[in-house]
Amino acid sequence: MSQPETESRRAEDLDSYHVIDCDCHYMESFTDVAEYMDEPWKTKFEGSNFDEKGAKQNLSSFFPFSTGDRQAHGKITREHSSYPDSPETPERIREGMSSIGVDETLLISHLILAGAGTTADDTRQSAFAKAYVEYMSEEVLDPDDGIYGLAPIPYADIDASLEILERIEGSEAYAGACFVTAGATPPLGNRKYDPLYERCEDMGLPAVFHTGGAGLDEYVRGGYQEMLETHTLGFLESNMSQIVSLVVQGVPEKFPDLDVAFMESGVTYLPSLITRLDEEYLKRPEEAPLLEKEPGEYITDFYYGTQPLEVSADPEFLEKCVKMVGPEQLMYASDYPHWDYDRPTTVIDLPFLSEDEKRGILSENAAEVFGL
Amino acid sequence: MSDGLVEVKPADAFENGDREFVQVDGTEVGVMQVEEEYYALQNSCLHDGGPVCTGKTHRKLLGEFTEPGKRVERTYTDEECVISCPWHGWSYDIETGAHLGNEDLKLPTYEVVVEDGVVYVGDRK
Repeated sequence: MSQPETESRRAEDLDSYHVIDCDCHYMESFTDVAEYMDEPWKTKFEGSNFDEKGAKQNLSSFFPFSTGDRQAHGKITREHSSYPDSPETPERIREGMSSIGVDETLLISHLILAGAGTTADDTRQSAFAKAYVEYMSEEVLDPDDGIYGLAPIPYADIDASLEILERIEGSEAYAGACFVTAGATPPLGNRKYDPLYERCEDMGLPAVFHTGGAGLDEYVRGGYQEMLETHTLGFLESNMSQIVSLVVQGVPEKFPDLDVAFMESGVTYLPSLITRLDEEYLKRPEEAPLLEKEPGEYITDFYYGTQPLEVSADPEFLEKCVKMVGPEQLMYASDYPHWDYDRPTTVIDLPFLSEDEKRGILSENAAEVFGL
Repeated sequence: MSDGLVEVKPADAFENGDREFVQVDGTEVGVMQVEEEYYALQNSCLHDGGPVCTGKTHRKLLGEFTEPGKRVERTYTDEECVISCPWHGWSYDIETGAHLGNEDLKLPTYEVVVEDGVVYVGDRK
């Protein structure tokens, strides 16, 4: 069967752009990562009778310990990824990249998104993150082929986090440090995390904050019933809460050379957050004594992954949002292979961007931030 | 009395914390004595027109980042140099009128002069 005409035209559009994907998820297997775990975690895991993927989708599809089936009960499929039925393999990454038109990619752990909300202890997060860093480095990442990683930071355990940063220092394979915003207690502007930001700043390593929070947070316990509700609310709230914490507690003033990026909440929430926080700040500036300018100006100093871009919004509204944040602060992100991933065409199709702005968002901004 | 000066009241009738209100070219101006100094500012907050000059005067809270992981050191200035609108808390430097959170927001301030024992409000600074 010949390729549909629309698909062929999209491929031609994509060919003229170099694309860096700042947020792609490698669907690692627990079994693969466990091989790199220290004891006692390796033995504990192997004896736990846990599925290799961890939480199985089919259970949550009917009795949701989360808020239901991410693939919308069979509606969403991925031809070029093993997700959600099997763990990913390194070979399939290139296939997935090629299928959506990505040339270089930054991989973020899939399983760590669920782990960050773990409050039972901080040891298992550290055990997982350390093993993940080794596994990816050894078996998956391939910077010569444009496949980079973001190292998960188990920030509840400062010492373990510093060990991971030490481990990846100078590594070409790791382009940044990844902090999952869901579940951070205390929030990530707290002084206890200062040593991590200081280290990242010294290393010239961007701090990438990745949201989470559908089914992992209080929205489920509060009685929300659908993923439409929890994913909308949780993914926004998790990023918004950490942006506010970082800015009000003065992290950008403490570490002015630290590049900060937030992933996976789209862009339209930012003008809302900026204007609300600024409005409150003007009434209570004494509560943020480190700030040298309005909080919104720090927020627009941060970088943002574009996905899930609100492409169905009124174009005038979306344009205003993009301009408020600044096209130079935006970096294309796919979130592939997750259910609400974006193709680079979401950026290419925006009618209000110049060619320079499109090239910036699709690759040049990220190349500069991540030193690729 | 000099041209352009608006009389407020005798200096010896002013006490720290006193507020008086006069019209200057159609604008209500609050005149106050704070820690022995006189100040005059527009009595209409830039936020929503609240009576800012009836608000609290106070010291300014400063924050200093000393080293990573340590609490931000918070200290007050020695002098009362801030006035805050009682409606919503917009806070201004009492001398310059600059908003503490955004210096581009400037509440108009006025000269205060004392001549022959009488306090007057002069030109807008």
